Amino acid sequence: MRDFFGRIGENCAFVFSGVARLSGLLGEVISVIFRSFTQKKTIKAKHIFHQMVLMGVDSAGIICLVGISVGMVLALQSAYQLKQMGAEIYTGALVSVSVTRELGPLIASIVLAGRVGARLAAELGTMKVQEEVDALTTMGLNPIQYLVVPRCLSLVMVLPCLTVIADVMAILGGFLIGITGIGINPYLYLAKSFDPLVLKDIYSGLGKSGIFAMVVALVSCHQGLSVEGGAEGVGKATTQAVVISIVLIIVVDCLATAVLYYALPA
Amino acid sequence: MADKQKNIIEVKNLIKRFGDRTVLDGINLNVPEGKITVIMGGSGCGKSTMLRHLIGLHQPTEGDIYVDNENIVGMSEKQMNGVKRKFGMLFQGAALFNSMSVGDNVALPLREHTDLSDEIIQIIVKVKLELVGLTGFEDFMPYQISGGMKKRVALARAIALDPKIVFYDEPGAGLDPITASMIDQLILDLSQKLKITSVVVTHEMKSAFRIADQMIVLHKGKVLQVGTSEEIKNSSNSYIQQFINGEPEGAIPLKQTSEAYLKGLLES
Repeated sequence: MRDFFGRIGENCAFVFSGVARLSGLLGEVISVIFRSFTQKKTIKAKHIFHQMVLMGVDSAGIICLVGISVGMVLALQSAYQLKQMGAEIYTGALVSVSVTRELGPLIASIVLAGRVGARLAAELGTMKVQEEVDALTTMGLNPIQYLVVPRCLSLVMVLPCLTVIADVMAILGGFLIGITGIGINPYLYLAKSFDPLVLKDIYSGLGKSGIFAMVVALVSCHQGLSVEGGAEGVGKATTQAVVISIVLIIVVDCLATAVLYYALPA
Repeated sequence: MADKQKNIIEVKNLIKRFGDRTVLDGINLNVPEGKITVIMGGSGCGKSTMLRHLIGLHQPTEGDIYVDNENIVGMSEKQMNGVKRKFGMLFQGAALFNSMSVGDNVALPLREHTDLSDEIIQIIVKVKLELVGLTGFEDFMPYQISGGMKKRVALARAIALDPKIVFYDEPGAGLDPITASMIDQLILDLSQKLKITSVVVTHEMKSAFRIADQMIVLHKGKVLQVGTSEEIKNSSNSYIQQFINGEPEGAIPLKQTSEAYLKGLLES
């Protein structure tokens, strides 16, 4: 019994210390961003654009593929249920609302947690192992300012854009299934898709994707910069970056949805 | 009579503990300005930890470190950045940024810490690369050049801002004897021609005796002896003699004696 509670205590301490470290990193990132308003050369646009290409442009293809597939699956599964009530005409509405509110931001951020989160953790971890981070520090360059902030800002700018792409592709996937597989009139499908959509659905989805981007960037950079040891440490950090990012995305999504649609329904 | 030698680095009673383990145990040492000081000792004696304290990567548990008359212990990041402008560091693995070309690596401290135009920076990069014998390598990526070249690029980067002090962590590690002696010659040149103070951490005896003006031998986190190459060579300390001659048997046993092993076994 004592062991059991001991283990619960240890795990809680582990979770809280992790949250504290991430909050500390977030604090440092925010302070660098504020400092950039008064000090020149704090953040370089060139670094941000370079990261945006690596994170965003290169991920657009895979986001399109996953987005269209999720839209198709969603349309197929929901039409099957709705047909039993003779309501398959509402398939488009179901797809568009669920995608813009939830699935678009979720799939875009989970794909990026795997693709970009792993890359960030491995890249920074290798830099740490090869003393490149120490070299930066010795040159008087703050690694948070030089490495973490451009990556965080790029991801926060890129993920909402990719979420829009995921939303559009998923709605398109649903549309293709709706007009071919289910046999709904294309004009009717589109009209029913956009009727129930309100701007809040889209804003909230994009807002959430911005928060998820920060989560992925902070977790991955933190894991990368905490690497100890050699190749094994880098491998472990990469895996943990992806796993922790995905778990946190889902937990934060749950909290954000509760706040956005239940605590602040208007 | 020559003027009294000024010490550019002074370490006073430096103690570093990691948990219960004491890695540096009351170190006192001085680094004279414009000279080459070699810190040597066996693996795990604390010499790399010592170096990391001198460049501000570690904070000591106790003690003070004066770099150019400023105590760097407990300094704010901003103040420390000012001190860091006075020194450069050559890491054991060169620590070049793999995503940047050789020229960009050398230009990085100039771009970040000065307002010089890109044309001027390119000229300085060329000069620094020429100083280390790598003219024309600006556009190469770090993975396209050899280990010795990487070290030389890292040295060019370390001296990009014309520092007063350059720290070297095992400069000859992993290099063939000819390349290692080329690096030694560069360290000597920088000291003699540019009057740069050098602090070299190494356990390669040949290299140490070739370049050192002053040698400091560390053992188990303490300073065993400080002296010139000759004084260390003729030291009566049995550990230093074993270390210099690279003997497996001596003051530092490679393995336990059979009696000690038996005693330990019976006690356990």
